[in-house]
Amino acid sequence: METGEITQEVTPVPSQAGLLKTAAACVAGVLVPGLGHALLNKWDRAVVFFGSISAMFFLGLRLHARLFSPDFSDFFAILKFAADAGSGLLYWISWLWGLGQGDPAAYAYDFGNVFVYVAGLLNMLVVVDAFDIAMGRKQ
Amino acid sequence: MNNHFALMVIFSIPVSLVFTFIAKNGAKERIRYFFFLLGSFILLSILAGWLMYPFPL
Repeated sequence: METGEITQEVTPVPSQAGLLKTAAACVAGVLVPGLGHALLNKWDRAVVFFGSISAMFFLGLRLHARLFSPDFSDFFAILKFAADAGSGLLYWISWLWGLGQGDPAAYAYDFGNVFVYVAGLLNMLVVVDAFDIAMGRKQ
Repeated sequence: MNNHFALMVIFSIPVSLVFTFIAKNGAKERIRYFFFLLGSFILLSILAGWLMYPFPL
């Protein structure tokens, strides 16, 4: 009796990191863009995320953006601060150094603010991506 | 830099890069998706600009 060759497509199952590694990746990602992916050995993503988010953040500052201080007096102030602070240590170090005073009269002030907001918001997405990878939901 | 269009293109590049690396795996797929996103950003921004042109009426 002749037996036929069985072809079977094998889809790799993403591995799940431990609880500690997942938490470490998320915290590292919140502090430094891309560091969470670096801990998960996703070096290509880590380099791209760090480069892109840092470039956007510093370009924003170069365009005279204002770094919004922790201010919980009104809803929009909270949103602006949350978006800015999403960049993690990039925000806190720059803020402590007194960078990002902002110049509303500058031509690119609004653009600069958008650059800084979006850098922070992208970093939040990147942290969620690191979490998904650590949980084995994606490769 | 006093050029809205250039600033918009500069803005689009890192945003497209991050979305590409979040959404896609594999070099070929990433390159295609990156240029698709970048092109979409630029074309839709120009379109939105023209749609807003008559305002305020």
